[in-house]
Amino acid sequence: MGVTVLQPYPLPEGKSGAHIMDHLGKRLLSLGASHAGQFLVDCETFISTPQHGTPARAVHVLHNSEYPASTFSIIDNGTGKQVAIVADNIFDLLMLKMTSIFTSKKQTKIESRGARFEYGDFVIKLGSVTMMEHFKGILIEIEYRPCITLSYCWEMIREMLQGFLGISVPKEYPTYFTTQTIMNAMGQQQLHAKQNDLYEPMDTVKQYLEHFTNYRKHVQMHGSMASSTASMGSGMLPSSVGMGRP
Amino acid sequence: MSNSVNISVETTCENQIREITYDGVEMYQAPPTLSESLAKCAARIDFSKTSLDDLKKEEKSAAAATDDDKDANQFQESLWPWDSVRNKLKDAYTEICVLSDVISIAKDKRYLVLDPLLEDGDDTKPIVQVYSRKKALSQAAQVLLSGAERLRNAHSEQRSRNVSDFHIELLRLRQNWRLKKVSNGAIIGDLSYRTAGSKFGMSGTFEVTKAEEVMDDEGAGCSTNATSCTSSSSTTNNGLQLKTSSALRVIVPAELQGVAYIKVITQKDQEDLCTAQVNLMGHGPNITAQVGVWQKTLEFAQNVLFCKELFAQLAREAIQLQAPIPHVVIGNQIRATLLPNIQLIISLCHSTSFDSNQPAPINDHDHVLEHSLHQLLREVHFKNSHHPFPHPASAPLGPSKKRMIAGPTAADRESLLDMTKTQTILEQIIAQAQHIFMRKRTQYVLDTLARDVKDPQIVSHWNAMNSPTMSCVKINIVTHGYDAIGRTSLVIHVKERSLKCICRDGRVMKLSYEPQELRDLILCQINSHQISCLVSLARYMAWTVLSNSNHLGIGKVEPLGNASSCLLGSPNSDRMIAVQIRCDPQIDVKVYIARSPRADFFPSPLVPEKFWENLGGNFKEVRFDKIEGKSFLNKMEFLMASLTSNST
Repeated sequence: MGVTVLQPYPLPEGKSGAHIMDHLGKRLLSLGASHAGQFLVDCETFISTPQHGTPARAVHVLHNSEYPASTFSIIDNGTGKQVAIVADNIFDLLMLKMTSIFTSKKQTKIESRGARFEYGDFVIKLGSVTMMEHFKGILIEIEYRPCITLSYCWEMIREMLQGFLGISVPKEYPTYFTTQTIMNAMGQQQLHAKQNDLYEPMDTVKQYLEHFTNYRKHVQMHGSMASSTASMGSGMLPSSVGMGRP
Repeated sequence: MSNSVNISVETTCENQIREITYDGVEMYQAPPTLSESLAKCAARIDFSKTSLDDLKKEEKSAAAATDDDKDANQFQESLWPWDSVRNKLKDAYTEICVLSDVISIAKDKRYLVLDPLLEDGDDTKPIVQVYSRKKALSQAAQVLLSGAERLRNAHSEQRSRNVSDFHIELLRLRQNWRLKKVSNGAIIGDLSYRTAGSKFGMSGTFEVTKAEEVMDDEGAGCSTNATSCTSSSSTTNNGLQLKTSSALRVIVPAELQGVAYIKVITQKDQEDLCTAQVNLMGHGPNITAQVGVWQKTLEFAQNVLFCKELFAQLAREAIQLQAPIPHVVIGNQIRATLLPNIQLIISLCHSTSFDSNQPAPINDHDHVLEHSLHQLLREVHFKNSHHPFPHPASAPLGPSKKRMIAGPTAADRESLLDMTKTQTILEQIIAQAQHIFMRKRTQYVLDTLARDVKDPQIVSHWNAMNSPTMSCVKINIVTHGYDAIGRTSLVIHVKERSLKCICRDGRVMKLSYEPQELRDLILCQINSHQISCLVSLARYMAWTVLSNSNHLGIGKVEPLGNASSCLLGSPNSDRMIAVQIRCDPQIDVKVYIARSPRADFFPSPLVPEKFWENLGGNFKEVRFDKIEGKSFLNKMEFLMASLTSNST
């Protein structure tokens, strides 16, 4: 388990997602990586009915094939506070019992699936993000296994990404790792640099949730745009017609 | 709440206790029958009182009472309901008057005397009392004597007990072994490891019976037949005489009789390298001196069962495992290959005859392998009987504790895969034997090198705490007297079939099981140690290091790498020293010296100027072995000191 960074890959015009995945896979194989199976990260969201006074709460349940014995869950209580938990796979059965309070929104079930490559100390996963069989984008996950602090190896990961993807990766840390102000134990506000923290598998899952949320919002954005303008890139959201639901 | 309780009310009409016998039985007085009570009442009547004088007196007093009442009668005739009351009162008054008269007459003692009445006549003679007392005393004496007799018998039995009590022996047996009584009265015991988690099929039941009358002499040993092993008075165990007979006899099944042990030999091309014996009877005979002969019998039988189970498990695994060189199972021997030309032979030796001249134990006893095999089988038993309790209690009862917390701690795929891998007993013992062999080999190489190479000293520190399959050794190469100048360290991890060597500068090298590779590595390290120490020494002596190389690439091709060299210049640059070290089969040092202004410069038409003499002369070889000095560095120090010249 090492530092993992997610990088969305912008789709060029006129190319389909499968073609890009194939292309990148071949690049990696020619670099010397070895194909090591498939991977899958999926996310399902449950929303509680909003009562008066309290906003609707969302429970996100995620699975990651890299940690097959665990189920990750994040509760979002509407006001921005998030609580995360790592549990056994039996957690899914628990959620089935909670259908009276939390309703599952099957339409927003989103997953990233693709090939997994091992390249020395790196593990690179090329994932195509799909929501209800509709293709959303390409999400690259790169993990550097020996290190568990981002600040020590960010430069190397960035160099690696730029090398085989061919796009330019900004120098700043990814948005998940930006410095935040938190309250420390004495009640004071303090700047907390997340890149110096020890990395945990939960951080990978939280990054996935962030990107999945972005993809869902893209849908809404594009859904509203589709109602006003018609033309869309062929690689992007062919089924934006049905969107518009929250 | 209507819990009614029955309450019984009884009268305490207990009969009086007449006597208590010596047995403690109470003899009650029988309640009086009707005739008896009548007799009692009749005895109370004093017939001497019924005379005519008394009767007349009573009539007179009665008549006087009636005259007084005549007048009253006329008035009271009308009150007919009160008539009975009047009569009763009159009778009562009459009787009181009579009683007062009688008492006054009796007081006078002239006409009437009151005598007490006796119920029993005092006709008991003293002799009857004597007889009754004598009988009572004799009964008491009888009780006391019978009690004393019993105590005396028990006491005499205890003192002269050469035949021990069956029950005491049974108690001792039960304290050590599992016994139970079956329906037909026989006592069956269990000496198998089933309750400790063993799943072996062979049953370990034995039967316990009373021994017959055994003669207490030396010849009794011959009377035992082959199936029973107790009451053998000829069993001597290292000179200690055990109890000659016992009230118990223990019958063990035929396949568990005798003595068994497992022998482990590591063999290199038909030559015994090390041997191990595995059995449970590692201790001396002292433990069996206190308990009976049956203890030893049962322990031997249990040992046989354990060795059989161990060997059966190993044989089963040997057949199932796929090894590059397959394991061979022949009869009671298992052969496995550890390394090329080195074999591990595990054999089960079971002797059923009681020879007192046992074969002498083999001297190089590998306690580690012996203990390991024992521990491995016990670990299998333990895992069979102890399952980690799942938290929460509703979780399945199979997985280990690590697997149960793998979910909440987000264990990744490699960790989960590692949890599923298990090793059989045979694989583990082969790994341990391989490691022992590798360690011995490494020790041998290091020790011979340390003995042969005296110039830099090779010091090896082995870790005290190791695992059965890995040991570590730290090697320091120092030159005596120059420890502060430089030291070359490396760590070697000795595993089962390979070595991993980590140098101080971070280089990691993986070596195979060939001893020559380690030897070459150490020689190369010695080589580089000499040069690096020389470089440091030159700095102390104020000599300049002009160049330095670890691998020159000169001369003929060598298997062990090429020479390393060092070029030093003196403080005022008038001398140069060139050192070359090879380690071809042994360390070979060559030292050359050059002077800076050439002594043999003659201006020639091609090179006319004088200053060209400063280019430096030829290098001349130094007879290094003739230089004074204890070691290479010492010699170099003296050389440098002698070549340092004062300049103006």
